[in-house]
Amino acid sequence: MSSSIAADVAPKAKTASPMARLAGDWLPPAITFVVVAVLWQVVALNNPYVLPTLESIGNSMAGDPHMYWANMLVTCQEIVIGAGAGILFGFLLAVAMSELPIIEKAIMPLIVVIMVTPVVAIAPALVVAFGFGMLPKYIVTGLVVFFPMLVNSLAGLRDVDQKALDVFKTLHASRWETFRDLRLPGCMPFVFAGLRIAMPLAVVGAAVAEFVAAGQQAGLGSLVTISAAQADLPVTWASIALLCLLGVVLVSLLALLRKRVLWWSDADVIGR
Amino acid sequence: MSAPAQASSDRYPGEAGVEVANITKSFGPDEARVTVLNGVSLTIRKGEFVSLIGPSGCGKSTLLKVVAGLSDADGGKVSINGKSAREASREKAIGLVPQSPALLPWRTILDNVSLPISINPGANAGRKLRDPKEILTNFGLGKAIDRYPAQLSGGMQQRAAIARAFVFDPEILLMDEPFSALDEMNRDQQRMGLLDFWQSNQKSVLFVTHSVPEAIILSDRIVLMAAHPGRIAEIIDVDLPRPRNEALYATDAFRDLEGYVRNALRKVMEAAHV
Ligand SMILES: Nc1ncnc2c1ncn2[C@@H]1O[C@H](COP(=O)(O)OP(=O)(O)OP(=O)(O)O)[C@@H](O)[C@H]1O
Ligand SMILES: [Mg+2]
Repeated sequence: MSSSIAADVAPKAKTASPMARLAGDWLPPAITFVVVAVLWQVVALNNPYVLPTLESIGNSMAGDPHMYWANMLVTCQEIVIGAGAGILFGFLLAVAMSELPIIEKAIMPLIVVIMVTPVVAIAPALVVAFGFGMLPKYIVTGLVVFFPMLVNSLAGLRDVDQKALDVFKTLHASRWETFRDLRLPGCMPFVFAGLRIAMPLAVVGAAVAEFVAAGQQAGLGSLVTISAAQADLPVTWASIALLCLLGVVLVSLLALLRKRVLWWSDADVIGR
Repeated sequence: MSAPAQASSDRYPGEAGVEVANITKSFGPDEARVTVLNGVSLTIRKGEFVSLIGPSGCGKSTLLKVVAGLSDADGGKVSINGKSAREASREKAIGLVPQSPALLPWRTILDNVSLPISINPGANAGRKLRDPKEILTNFGLGKAIDRYPAQLSGGMQQRAAIARAFVFDPEILLMDEPFSALDEMNRDQQRMGLLDFWQSNQKSVLFVTHSVPEAIILSDRIVLMAAHPGRIAEIIDVDLPRPRNEALYATDAFRDLEGYVRNALRKVMEAAHV
């Protein structure tokens, strides 16, 4: 008797309605955001020199959307070109290092030296060297993503299944075959772990580059420094919000890409 | 180095598949060098199934790696159909079944089993390649060809790994405890599957195992190794009729031989502890 009741109840509990599932996934974070927004408003209304109200931020964006859009495009450009180059170069150098250990021996110490030097300190020097154009911004953005990409990709290329490698060796697989069929696909989980670190860093890198070199070339980062200097808090916070949005979009795109490329690495996803 | 093969291998006249002559191998720094293989000589005839059994750490895997050309011996010679291990692998003459299935998780079972055909394709000429689908069907994986390794049980994965080693029709198969990760029931099923397949495709096999019944039911000969240093203690002929099946386990001949092998193994182990 009792077992038949349990059998009746169990499936119902499992197949919650889509509405209920949506509520379960979205409601808790939504409540958190609402609470934070209310607290923000309370602080902003009582301390206008600390935080702008949410509607003043909204009004600022709605009042001059072209200005924000143009600045956002500049920052996006820095991320796409700078971080793109940093990611590509980091990965390619990892491939070179794993195929030819002498390259790692020769240049890894130099890379570590560069990487322990704070980017914020390098940026002004780059501006002096390359001027206020886009180039120093690309370099700074590329520099911050380069190291996590290099280190993670290298770890991935080294982390081959030794037993599978033995099978490749007994077949006399060429270096290229071993790379194409074993090392390259096998290193993807590490590459994506590297990208997950690199994406938010790319936004940081672009913003820092613009702080240091807020010249004629704009960007959301320069917008933050300029407006903050003028105590124009709504513009400052609107720019910060857009930088944040940029980071969220990048991380979400990455998650989508990961699902497409790396479906095999999460065992239970395959089962669907 | 071209010393004639040991007298004991003369019992098998005809074409020698694999000849292992006086292999020595040691590991470690000069002042603390440990000899792992000491003068190991062995012949595997064409189409012969030879098992390697012995205490843990006696050098079975090391010997297998030397034969596979994955590791260089300090002295001695391996020849596979008259060629060195390296040359043999260049010609894709060696099929390896490692201890874990080592399938590529991003490839389907069919693509995994097809891998040895696409790798080093220059060595495919004049070879009797098998149809990967057909060989998977033979191994009872016909319905699983489009699945990924993570979707298969451990036993099915191991069968796929064996199919991968057979698919390109190598001269010799080297298997290092392929069933050791499976539970006993599954193990027995897999070894019967291998027995069936091998009996209809007789290839030279060197098969490392820890299981005495497994060694007996599969092999033509059992090579018993002793440890410290690793060497061949005894070569036992398995004069049981073929084709074999599960019924063999229950026969007196099987039990007698099992008793004999266990006893020999015990002696080897005791000698090591004195
Ligand atoms: N690369 C290596 N470096 C140093 N010592 C090694 C190396 N490979 C194997 N050995 C040593 O050689 C000996 C034999 O190892 P091997 O793996 O061949 O044993 P085995 O007979 O396969 O044992 P098991 O039955 O446990 O698998 C062991 O003592 C091991 O520690
Ligand atoms: Mg071993």
